[in-house]
Amino acid sequence: MNVIEINNLTKTYGKSRGITDISFHVEQGEIFGFIGPNGAGKSTTIRTLLSLIYPTSGSATIFGKDCIQFAPEIKKEIGYLPSEVFYYDNMKVKNLLKYSASFYKKDCSKRIKELAEIMDLDLNKKIDDLSLGNKKKVGIVQGLLHEPKLIILDEPTSGLDPLMQQKFFELLEEENKKGATILFSSHILSEVQRLCNRVAIIKEGKIVTVEKISTLQENNYKKFKVETKLALDPNYFIIDGVNNLEANGNVTSFLFKGNINTVLRKIAEIEVTNLWIEEPDLEEIFMHYYEKEA
Amino acid sequence: MNIFFHELKAYRKSTIIWTFSLIMVALLFLSMFPSFAKDADEFKKLLAGYPLAMRKAIGLNLENIFTILGFYSYALTFTTLCAAIQAMNLGTAIVSKEAREKTADFLLTKPVTRTQILTSKLLAAFTSLLITNVVYLVAVNIIASQVKTVDYSVQKFVMLSLTMFFIQLIFLAIGILFSVIIPKIKSVLTVSLATVFAFYFLGVISETSGDDVKRYFSPFKYFDNTYIIKHSNYEGSFLIAGAVIVAAAITASYFIYLKRDIHAV
Repeated sequence: MNVIEINNLTKTYGKSRGITDISFHVEQGEIFGFIGPNGAGKSTTIRTLLSLIYPTSGSATIFGKDCIQFAPEIKKEIGYLPSEVFYYDNMKVKNLLKYSASFYKKDCSKRIKELAEIMDLDLNKKIDDLSLGNKKKVGIVQGLLHEPKLIILDEPTSGLDPLMQQKFFELLEEENKKGATILFSSHILSEVQRLCNRVAIIKEGKIVTVEKISTLQENNYKKFKVETKLALDPNYFIIDGVNNLEANGNVTSFLFKGNINTVLRKIAEIEVTNLWIEEPDLEEIFMHYYEKEA
Repeated sequence: MNIFFHELKAYRKSTIIWTFSLIMVALLFLSMFPSFAKDADEFKKLLAGYPLAMRKAIGLNLENIFTILGFYSYALTFTTLCAAIQAMNLGTAIVSKEAREKTADFLLTKPVTRTQILTSKLLAAFTSLLITNVVYLVAVNIIASQVKTVDYSVQKFVMLSLTMFFIQLIFLAIGILFSVIIPKIKSVLTVSLATVFAFYFLGVISETSGDDVKRYFSPFKYFDNTYIIKHSNYEGSFLIAGAVIVAAAITASYFIYLKRDIHAV
């Protein structure tokens, strides 16, 4: 069963770019990554799913129900964590969470305590006095306290220190094991790789591809940068699997996909003064997708 | 109901401050009444020296200013002005507060309809005004009974005081409409002060011209205190005009709020 189904969703507004003809689905029990640079339309898509904004055309269903028409009913089972969290400043954390829980017709007090303990959150502080990271924790607890079946996260890790990020990911994996489906939006590839089963890549309001993470990893690109004493023959590295070849004086850089040994052998044959082998960042992955389309 | 109580709690402090201030303004005026009434003839001569248009503009009526009801009507023009600001503040803040404090995402991703949200907030604002008026009415009635020189009709006194509540409802409705039409209100007070004073001066101008039609332009002129004292009744056509404004503004607000996109901050 598909928990989320998005069909030809389009949202245009004024000057700013919206989203165009977005379609993908998220299956039950899956952790689905939604990845793209800032301003690509991730938030627009998510806000439409939550009926915060209304689509220009197209539609989306959650739990098989139209996300606009049945919004209040659907939202009983959704936990949402926005990228920036702001809450009623002069409330205590405890009271805000109680207020949040009061919208769901079940007793969440035990879960609140558990979550606060895991996330190391002081319930008696005023929200005003919290740091950004701690506010984020309030957001996490707020989004999970009613044990939702669908968790929607919009760039959730900003502001969390690595340790908390780790705990947060573990928490999500636990929720996922209990049966929750997760839609995880991010612009950080490594996060998504770590957590997700499948991923949709969005750029400039359009879905570029929907792939399994394992497939993405098979397409394991490496970024090479080689510095040599003497300028290289620009054609030296033109072999199978090399992309984006750039020669800049003594420095040659390229993306490589395939058996890494072939490149290493090539490098061993020349006089190298410095060498970098890195994971390509998101932009470069996107470049690859664009080239494939062109 | 949870939104209603949450909102009501958020208004608690401002409700207390406004109620107290309104009573203080009324007290300030009414405490002057005994000495004013004692030298009635002197004052009458002095005030008669002002041009009629000006007296009308500031709401002075020489026929009844020396009775407690007449004097209170005069005080009421000031308390009503303050009360209108209170109501307009409440109305303008209803939706814009969520956008400014960036809590709209929190509320609108909960399993509630937008109608439920707006209704709860509206009722909370209404309740807050109701509490203000009940406390005010009791307090001012006690003050009046202390400073009176002769007995007065409590019914008329209550009727006069209620005009403040009616005008508040009109400004509450206008405020809500503003809060859903103007996408981002940075300062509630700027918007509400500007609107309230604009209508107040519109009322002052309409009063000097003596044209009844012009009275419709300013809610402050929907209730003629002299008329109420004389007839123990409100003017029907203006009562209807007020009700129509409230109904129209609130209906329009629901329509706009239900259809509008809530943008990320």
